[in-house]
Amino acid sequence: MGHAYRAVGWNRQKKIYDRTLGLGLIAYLVLFVVVGLLRWPEHSEETLALRALGTGALLLLHVILSIGPLARLDHRWLPLLYNRRHLGVLMFCLALVHGVFATVYYHSLTDGNPVVDPLISVLSANQRSDSLAHFPFEIFGVVALAILFLMAATSHDFWLANLTAPVWKALHMLVYVAYASVVLHVALGTLQGETSPVLSGLVGVGVVWVLGLHLVVGWRERGLDRPTTGSPSAEGYLDVAAVDELKDGQAKIVTLSGDRVAVFRNGDEVSVVSNACQHQNGPLGEGRIIDGLIVCPWHGYQYQPRCGRSPEPFTEKIPTFRAQVRAGRVWVHPTPLPAGTDVEPARIGAEA
Amino acid sequence: MTETQAKWFLIALGLYLALGLLFAVPFLLKGAAKIDGDAVEGSWGFKLLILPGTVALWPLLLSRWLRFDAAPVERSPHRDAAGEGR
Repeated sequence: MGHAYRAVGWNRQKKIYDRTLGLGLIAYLVLFVVVGLLRWPEHSEETLALRALGTGALLLLHVILSIGPLARLDHRWLPLLYNRRHLGVLMFCLALVHGVFATVYYHSLTDGNPVVDPLISVLSANQRSDSLAHFPFEIFGVVALAILFLMAATSHDFWLANLTAPVWKALHMLVYVAYASVVLHVALGTLQGETSPVLSGLVGVGVVWVLGLHLVVGWRERGLDRPTTGSPSAEGYLDVAAVDELKDGQAKIVTLSGDRVAVFRNGDEVSVVSNACQHQNGPLGEGRIIDGLIVCPWHGYQYQPRCGRSPEPFTEKIPTFRAQVRAGRVWVHPTPLPAGTDVEPARIGAEA
Repeated sequence: MTETQAKWFLIALGLYLALGLLFAVPFLLKGAAKIDGDAVEGSWGFKLLILPGTVALWPLLLSRWLRFDAAPVERSPHRDAAGEGR
């Protein structure tokens, strides 16, 4: 990073994002309870509040899981991705309140310890794991909440720096385990007390939506991880693209040495860097060169194209690659250089 | 899960988190700055935000603090091929 940590690096966009999020959420919760009281008068206010919190968290989880693939399909979704961590922490808070409320409401019936006994009850009251209709669905909620807690607790950049981006990303990929747990929690829970098919139907639509989006993006990107092949030049360079394929200020992504690289054109210069931003391993090759710096499309981290270093005072750096332009084609040496190594850009039009 | 199993699970979890909370006090006051230079002048809001993660992941942080490790460099196929971290 290169500057002192603060709780939140506020800026205008984050404030607008959070204000919109907060107001939208309050509107959803109030609307759910009011409509619920009118539509289902047999349910208590507590039950409706519990469902408002649970469905609110579930809805946010769907939004969170959709932002990544949507942003890959259309860059106009990127502003939503920029502050996704706040969305995640808010979703965890909703799920936590739902969990605590449900535990107190349904499991605080004994005269014993007010903290420990309800927790023991949640974990052990229902042991009908032999029956799908009576399965202890609460345990799936507990598993999801534990994962969401770990994700929310490690959402600060301190954890990115100290776990490293790949480990942090692997930890946060557990969101898919949490999602599966939540789906089971809701599906099995509704089996036990819900007569209307609306909730389970909506969850089914949500699952199809999330799965479908990920499959579409996977299909579109299926070729990107195919290693670049072909006959290497005498110096070991590989032909990766025609010069005409490279738009000014943008990159072509290819795979070399087991990972993606971004081949950037900056005017009549070509520079090649590893595709993963050091911050959250965002796809640098989907970003642009602005004011002479590669800008990560996810959170705006910047790198100098020729050396892969962030401008001072920032200290991020990424591996670079040697490139040549010959006969209208771009050739890249597949062996990466240590992060931050300065490499003379290949010049278009200057080839022999 | 039986009631006895649930009790033992909660006792173990409570013990782990209590140790994490004990560890968090000196870590947030001194340790975080030892393993990450950007935490030296970290605000109190920052310290409060990393408290839950510190309580949850205290064995990892304790081992780094004891080894006086600087923030680690990430591993990736490119960084490995470039000979970083060897």
